[in-house]
Amino acid sequence: MRNFHLDRRQLSIPYLIYLILFVVMPLLVVLYYGFTDENGNISFANFIIFFTNSKTMGTLVYSVAIAVVVTVICLLLAYPVAYILAKGKYARKHSFLMIFVLPMWINFTLRITALKEILTMLEGNLAYHPFVNTVICMVYDFLPFMIMPLFNALTKLDSSIIEAGYDLGADFPQVLKRVILPLTVPGIISGITMVFLPAMTNYVVLDMVYNSTYIMGSLIGSYFSSYDWNNGSIISAILLMLIGFFAIFTERIMNRVEKEEQRI
Amino acid sequence: MIVRKMIFAAFAAIPFMLAGCSSEKTSDAIILRVSNWEEYIDEGDWDEAIELEDGTEICGENNIITDFEDWYFETYGKRVKVEYSTFGTNEELYNQITIGDVYDLVCPSDYMMEKLLREDKLVPYSKSFFDVSAENNYYAKGVSPYIDSVFEKLSVNGEPISDYAAGYMWGTMGVVYNPEEIPKEAASHWDVILNKDYFRRITVKDSVRDTFFTALGIEYYDEITADDFVNSADYGEKLSEVLNRTDEATVMGAEDILSRAKDNVYSFETDSGKADMVTGKVVANIQWSGDAVYTLDQAEEDGMELYYVIPEEGTNLWFDGWVMLKEGLEQDPDKQQAAEAFVNYLSRPDNAIRNMYYIGYTSVISGGESDLMYQYMNYCYAADPDEAEDSEDTEGTEEEEGTVEYSEIGYFFEADTDEANEKYSIITTPDQLDRQLFAQYPPKSVVDHAVVMDCFDDEANERINRAWTNVRCFDLDKLFFWK
Repeated sequence: MRNFHLDRRQLSIPYLIYLILFVVMPLLVVLYYGFTDENGNISFANFIIFFTNSKTMGTLVYSVAIAVVVTVICLLLAYPVAYILAKGKYARKHSFLMIFVLPMWINFTLRITALKEILTMLEGNLAYHPFVNTVICMVYDFLPFMIMPLFNALTKLDSSIIEAGYDLGADFPQVLKRVILPLTVPGIISGITMVFLPAMTNYVVLDMVYNSTYIMGSLIGSYFSSYDWNNGSIISAILLMLIGFFAIFTERIMNRVEKEEQRI
Repeated sequence: MIVRKMIFAAFAAIPFMLAGCSSEKTSDAIILRVSNWEEYIDEGDWDEAIELEDGTEICGENNIITDFEDWYFETYGKRVKVEYSTFGTNEELYNQITIGDVYDLVCPSDYMMEKLLREDKLVPYSKSFFDVSAENNYYAKGVSPYIDSVFEKLSVNGEPISDYAAGYMWGTMGVVYNPEEIPKEAASHWDVILNKDYFRRITVKDSVRDTFFTALGIEYYDEITADDFVNSADYGEKLSEVLNRTDEATVMGAEDILSRAKDNVYSFETDSGKADMVTGKVVANIQWSGDAVYTLDQAEEDGMELYYVIPEEGTNLWFDGWVMLKEGLEQDPDKQQAAEAFVNYLSRPDNAIRNMYYIGYTSVISGGESDLMYQYMNYCYAADPDEAEDSEDTEGTEEEEGTVEYSEIGYFFEADTDEANEKYSIITTPDQLDRQLFAQYPPKSVVDHAVVMDCFDDEANERINRAWTNVRCFDLDKLFFWK
């Protein structure tokens, strides 16, 4: 019988195969193309072109602008909702949460098609406000991804700590600022991670609301369809680096928060 | 280069390792790997049959590919198994081929055929394929003389494309418009996309080549509509030269036009334009003729009448066709025979009609000896006095009284002579001259303004793609992007 016992190492094999085949290998291909020229020689030209071309930089700025606005709006909308759901005295918290997360079960292109019709009714012509429409649709699409981690962080937050704040004479704004917000930073950060990067690259939404300006995702697509694998790959690689920096940055904040929690 | 090949090889090997065990068993049948556009072939399951004048009934009961496999076995006594897959754009097909997907027979557009031929990836059709005396050579017997002449004129490195390609569908590019919202005069020029009267109410194709062509039509409008240009003896060649210009100045001019268009049109769309026409979000929309027919049909079902017009300064004549790939056939004569038989089977007039009926595009087949194609055109568009009452069911569109004779399509079926025009004329309702009939079978006068877009060289492509990216990317100077 001992032979049938699976140890930890064996259990990790299926995922390891998956990881190598579908994550590591494609990534290597992307990096290979990103840092070679069309003849296959190692080159940093693509990298330099990206940062010196005003149009690609314009795309980066535009994508970041969309992503920042979407993330901020999501955060402002989601935080109060998550707070009420987590701290309110409802008998069926999780059912309420379900209602907020429910739209995720329907395919997002379908939902956006519906939203498009509503926006057309409100605005008359969608093409007048491409930026606003893009933001509205992305917020609609990504909001559940913000609510979930915030809800989890707020549920875990011990109510007695909040009460202690009030007992020590603080009013609600002070408690919010000095107790609740700092203690839910991990939730806020994971919410931002879930929203910010998809918002930078999800060009399907832009296509659907007739925003004809490229964002990072569409720029990659346009390079690939003109057989320019090298320049398309470098953009993917640069996005990857952005994610990397972001991860390191979050790690640091998380560590600091943890230390502070231990102090309490 | 070696590293790249190895990476490709590693990826290409995976599916074979996974599938290797199962697919080997049917090795007695010829495997024919075909790749075609999405929704570009009859998939069967029709509700009703087409009944032509002479009593011929055509009905797609099964998928046409299954029918081909059966027909091939009956005719040649050999089993063939078609592995059918699809692609969305020419570039996608090209990328698949370069990555290592292997196909025997594919259906790219004109310029992509040229590109593949230039890269020496194609196998020429065998001599026997063009033998009109053989019974089963439906393509050679049935292809329209007009399409044939277009093919003959195109060549790469001195080799005519007609040796390597068999046509499938063809058409023009034009403007679908709503006659209640926009007059024909406005819609029948490419500069409609810059027209401020229709601010944010017109869509353009999200495709570099097609939109670039539109821009050239605007850029050189004055030159190509000048009287002495139009009346010159070599008008066709001259027009083709102008609308295929790719020099630096031309591309910059086009970039400027498209930047202005971007701020004026509703969107650059790939597929949503058809639906947006029907729902009334846009009033005009640049389309290929086949999609135009589909849009017009859809709108009709919703009780809305849309028209199609081809800008008079010039249009893009395009065609898709079957080419055989070296890498797939590997000089296997059985396979090549099966591939050629597949093309012939699709070119048999009744099958060409099935495909046309199913997808709305126009087949390059005019029928040759058989007049089925002409009958089918009559079936679709002839004004039938018995059905005049039925047509009043389409509410809101008061049919104009009377009928007209449309006799400018002899060139497609036989030759551009009065005799052929007379023979292949059709009595139809007047509106059809602006609608489906016009889109499917444009008159000779319109086709004279049509040019085939060349396969540009790498340098020109790079220039055009860069211009396109510049148009589409956010301009840093314009920081008020929420406007």
